[in-house]
Amino acid sequence: MSAVIEKPAQTPNAGRHVIDEQSFTHAAGLSTGPVSVEPYRSPAFFELERERVFKRAWLCIGRVEQLPQENAYFVKDLEIWKASVLVTRGKNNKIRAFHNVCSHRGNLVVNQTCGVAERLVCRYHNWQYRNDGELIGVPDQKHFFDLDKKTCGLTPISCEVWEGFIFLNHQSKPEVSLAEFLGPFGTRYAGIPYFNLDETIVIQADFKANWKLIADAFAEPYHVPSLHPATLAPGFAHPEQNRYARPLSAMAHGIHRHFSAYGNPDYVPAPTSKVEQLVYVQDTGGVLGGDDSGNAAALTAHPAINPTKDRSWSADVTWIFPNFNIDYSTGGFWTHEFWPVAHNRTQWTLKIYIPKTMSIRHRLQLEHYACRWAEVVLEDVTNCERIQRGLESGAKDTMILQDAEMLIRHSLHVLDKWVKADHVADALS
Amino acid sequence: MTAASSSLPPGFEELEGFVSYWVLDSNDQRRAARSTAEMDDIQRFYDAIVARAEQAIVHCEQFTLGQMPPASERLFKLLLAMNHAAIAVEMHGEPRAFDSTWPSAVRITQGPWPHGGRI
Repeated sequence: MSAVIEKPAQTPNAGRHVIDEQSFTHAAGLSTGPVSVEPYRSPAFFELERERVFKRAWLCIGRVEQLPQENAYFVKDLEIWKASVLVTRGKNNKIRAFHNVCSHRGNLVVNQTCGVAERLVCRYHNWQYRNDGELIGVPDQKHFFDLDKKTCGLTPISCEVWEGFIFLNHQSKPEVSLAEFLGPFGTRYAGIPYFNLDETIVIQADFKANWKLIADAFAEPYHVPSLHPATLAPGFAHPEQNRYARPLSAMAHGIHRHFSAYGNPDYVPAPTSKVEQLVYVQDTGGVLGGDDSGNAAALTAHPAINPTKDRSWSADVTWIFPNFNIDYSTGGFWTHEFWPVAHNRTQWTLKIYIPKTMSIRHRLQLEHYACRWAEVVLEDVTNCERIQRGLESGAKDTMILQDAEMLIRHSLHVLDKWVKADHVADALS
Repeated sequence: MTAASSSLPPGFEELEGFVSYWVLDSNDQRRAARSTAEMDDIQRFYDAIVARAEQAIVHCEQFTLGQMPPASERLFKLLLAMNHAAIAVEMHGEPRAFDSTWPSAVRITQGPWPHGGRI
């Protein structure tokens, strides 16, 4: 049975699922030829990415809930900037970011990953900073020479917040604002209700592959039936109706993009899967479910989510250029950060936002949910390391992308523009 | 606990043989235990815990989450580990995903509360 089933019908909610056969690639105005694999294996290209993409784009580094109260702070190492970044919530709840570097001798000021403090002290010589960056204390100041504390604060980093997500820009005066950077994506995806923000499952991996390989893995569902036959395929493909898990929609939104994933509406655990049956007899549903129907209804009512409003919907993957995903499903949402370390090394963090544990049975479901996820990503990470070896062998100079892999093609297209453009405005056009 | 034979609540003695391997404090530890176990051992644990799962859940439901007596908490951790055994038995038919590498770079650095752990 082919994935090409029949022409789109006018009544999408009636009867069997109908696959939309319009070309996502053509609709996005992209070419259809093979694409170069140099961006995945070239150390020189990696340095271009560092300077022209990651040091000019707005990068999401977390959410406002990581700063739960006034004077809260967190520290994040950004290898791609070779920097330690300090993010603070100061008076009037203003969120700021700084290089976590002391003005005295260049030591790192804060060595805890998070905490609450109005004053931050570099333990080398006890220089003291307020969490708005100002230098307020220098021991034995009289023996310095013409020291002007006002000019010796922490070095600020441009910081803006969109829908609770904190973005930083390495440029001291960013060429474009966050709103300009997000463009049509920022307006289309505004106003989505986020829930379960206080509890997370976190899965991380530091592995030997280019950062785009793992980003690509979450950008297309074509591999789900083959790479994830047991962990995902039963819920995200269908042996007759959508054998190759073709997306319900896939679109570019300026330099950003999304696809909507098919979900098998008839999925129930197999009779032999006793534990899966046991833990999914809950108020929640779906293979990647984790929350109640009220929250899911508010999410799916948003026009950006499942834009074709297909009943066989499972999740939306949104990819904010260059390295951040926000994914939405009936069970809540999760994010991916794909952080490049070298042309063949990546640090990746998956944060899955979950409801607070309500009962013994709910806790068992969350355990199953976490270990299913970990198994899915084990399959993906193992696979990415193999691809890296394949690409670095030099056997192939190009890769061939099908229509369901449109997001990868768009990613490479935008990346190419950013690497070549001398001005960010040109890269956005 | 002085004797291993009494480490679980009364009525669940037949699961005692699984305590030393499968009672663990974090999600990531339980996953590692399953990923490095022999399939026969995973199947034996799975069969035993699944047969008693409903009674074990009812037992644990007497207590507030995070505040169980030690014997009941051990039983609860066996139930948590049951989910990991199920990944092997119900999904893969082998201890972990086909063709996957181990040790793996993938870690569950924060699991659900309670007994999820944090790395």
